[in-house]
Amino acid sequence: MKIFVSVLVAMCSIIAFNVNAVNVIVHPSNTNSLDKSAIKKIFLGKSKKFPNGEQAIPVALAGGDARTEFLGAVIGKSESQLKAYWSKLIFTGKGQAPKSVDTEAELVKLISQNPNLIGYVSDAALDDSVKVLVKL
Amino acid sequence: MNKIQTCAVCALSLFIPSSFADITLNGFASIRGSQANSDGGLAPFPEFKEGEVSFKSESLFAIQARADLGEGLSATVQLFAEGRNDFDVNARWAYISYEVNDAHQVSVGRFANPLFHQSQYEKVGFAHNFSRLPKAVYSDFEFATIEGITLDSTFDLDDYTLTTKLLYGSWNGQVFISAVNDNVPLGFKDIYSVNATLSGDWWKIFAGILLTELDGAEFDQGLFQVAAPGVAAAMATGASAGDVAAFNRAIGWDQKDGIYTFAGFGIDYNDWLVDFEYSDYGVDDSTDGFNNSWYLAIGRRFDQLVVTIHTEDFAQETDLDFLDDVSHPVLQATGQAIHEGLIFREYEGSGITIRYDFHPSAAFKVDYFKGEDTRASVGDYSIMSAGIDIVF
Repeated sequence: MKIFVSVLVAMCSIIAFNVNAVNVIVHPSNTNSLDKSAIKKIFLGKSKKFPNGEQAIPVALAGGDARTEFLGAVIGKSESQLKAYWSKLIFTGKGQAPKSVDTEAELVKLISQNPNLIGYVSDAALDDSVKVLVKL
Repeated sequence: MNKIQTCAVCALSLFIPSSFADITLNGFASIRGSQANSDGGLAPFPEFKEGEVSFKSESLFAIQARADLGEGLSATVQLFAEGRNDFDVNARWAYISYEVNDAHQVSVGRFANPLFHQSQYEKVGFAHNFSRLPKAVYSDFEFATIEGITLDSTFDLDDYTLTTKLLYGSWNGQVFISAVNDNVPLGFKDIYSVNATLSGDWWKIFAGILLTELDGAEFDQGLFQVAAPGVAAAMATGASAGDVAAFNRAIGWDQKDGIYTFAGFGIDYNDWLVDFEYSDYGVDDSTDGFNNSWYLAIGRRFDQLVVTIHTEDFAQETDLDFLDDVSHPVLQATGQAIHEGLIFREYEGSGITIRYDFHPSAAFKVDYFKGEDTRASVGDYSIMSAGIDIVF
C-alpha cells in the first residue's frame, strides 16, 4: 500500500509539474519556429531578430515560478548568474536586460498586441490571444 | 571633476523631464574589509595599508543613469566613488550612444578603456567571482577611463556569437611607477584599440590590441634627472653633446609607441569554471621592459556557492635594444641601470576566493591570496578580505 501511495504521489507530482509547465509565447501572427538555443540568445541579448528577420523583443516576468522554470530550462542560469551576466553588459553600455512585467496576465496582454514580442507564461495564464512557440 | 560639476551632472541625470527620456538607474557597490601584510613592510599594491584592516582600500559605490531618448539614441553617466580616494565622486563614464542597427552601436564621450578582456567591468565585483580581479593582469591602471569614440558590434553566427569593439581615443593623467613608488604625469595620444570575443554556449575565446603614442615629455624630465649623474660622468669621460642627445632619445618615453595585447579563454561547463588570460604590454623601444602577465583560475559552482582558486604571474622582459644608438659605455651603463630599475619588480602568487550569493543581487566573498614580490620592501606578502558586492 505504501508503495502504491508513493507511486501515486509521484505521478501526481509529474502531472502537477506538467500543469505548471512554462510556455514560450508570441503573437498569433508570428510564424517563426525557434528552438531553446535561439530563444536563449534572444533573452540574453545576443540575437535581436526572429528567423524571418523581424525584430524580436523579449519580455520577462519579474518573478514567480514560471520565471524560475524558464531560467533553469532555457537560460541555464540562476537569478544571481543572470544578474552578473547583465551587469557586464549594462555597466559597459553594451546592453539592457529585457523589460519585465509583474504578472503573467500583463505579459499575455502585451504579447497579444505586438508581433515583435516574445515571452513566457505558465499554462494557467494561456489564452487564445497568444501562440505557444515552445512548451518547456 | 569638481563637486559643482558632479552636482550638475547629477541634476541633469535625475531631472530630465520624463516626457523627453525614459531613464534607467542602475548601480553597483562593494564593501570590503581588506588586510595586506608583507615581510618587507610595504603594502604590495598602493591601495592597501600594510598590516591594517581597511574598509576603504577596496570599497566603492557607483550609480549609473541611462536616458533612452528613443530611435536608438541614449545618454549614459556613471558616478563613481572609491574608498581609496575618500569616496570623492567622479563621472567615470559619460557618453552618448547611437544604435546604428541591431548589430552596431556607436558611443562618443568618456568611457572604459578596454585594455584587457574584463577591464570594462573590472570594478563591478558582482559580475565576477573574485574579490578583486587578478592583479597580475588587472593592476588597476590609471588610464582605465578614456575619452573618444567606440563602435560596439554583435554578430549572431547561428551557434556562435562574435562581439567586437573598435575604439579611437586619448588619455591624460598620472601613472604609478613602482620604481619610485609614486605617480608620474603621462598621456596617451591617438589610442587605437580592437578587441573581439567569440563565444558558444559554454565557452569563449578572446583577444585584443591597443596601440597609442605616448605624451611623456614631463615623464621624461624625471628620467633625465635620474640619469643626470651618469650623463655628467659620461661627459667627463669624453661623451659629446650628440651622444647625450642620442641617450636622451633612447631612454625617453615621449612620442614612443605603447602596445597592449591580450588573449585568453573562458569555460563554464557543468558548473566547472575555467578562465585564462595572458597580456603583454609596454612602451616600445624605451627603458620600459615589456610586461608579460597571466592568470589561470579554476572554479566550481555549488548551487549558490562558487569556490575559485587561481594563480597569477607578473614578469617583465629585459630588452636593451633601446640602447642600440648609444655608443658611449657610461651612457650605456646608465641606460641599462634605469631599465633595470624600472623592470625589477615582478610578482606571482595564488589565492582562493569563496563567493556566496545570499541574495539575487548580492554576493558575500571571502578570499586569501599569498604572493611573492621581487621588491625587497615587499617580499613575501598576503592579502585577506571579506566583503559584499551588490548590483541593482
